[in-house]
Amino acid sequence: PEYKLVLISIEGMTCNSCVKSIEGTVCDIAGVKSIKVSLEEKTGEIIFNPDLTGENDLKDAVDDMGFEAAIKEHQKP
Amino acid sequence: KHEFEVEMTCGGCSGAVERVLKRREDVKDIAIDMEKQRVYVTSDASAEDLLEVIKKTGKKTSYVGTA
Repeated sequence: PEYKLVLISIEGMTCNSCVKSIEGTVCDIAGVKSIKVSLEEKTGEIIFNPDLTGENDLKDAVDDMGFEAAIKEHQKP
Repeated sequence: KHEFEVEMTCGGCSGAVERVLKRREDVKDIAIDMEKQRVYVTSDASAEDLLEVIKKTGKKTSYVGTA
């Protein structure tokens, strides 16, 4: 499949356990290939299969976890 | 009032739990005790309902009982 990349800004993370729980939850979503969360930059970089999930679904998943998420940019990896 | 045990390690964790609960209109009050790893929720919603909401944060959560 043709993977896409989305960069999401995430507000509200304060430590590594926040990072780990976001990575763990998002990784479990069908279609997500990989996720890299940066605590310093307050962003999450997600590579996903657009046939299985959408960038808005990914943003909502992070939102549902209690963080403020917004799509920053998207492009092909 | 429902009592839950939630694995929280920092202010970001407890803040996240608080935010997801605040989004629900049927939740009247939330109290968090970090030291005891407890979340107290005053709500008409069922315990199972609230448990699902808290679990969405990706933290280990269990229902303790009514407090």
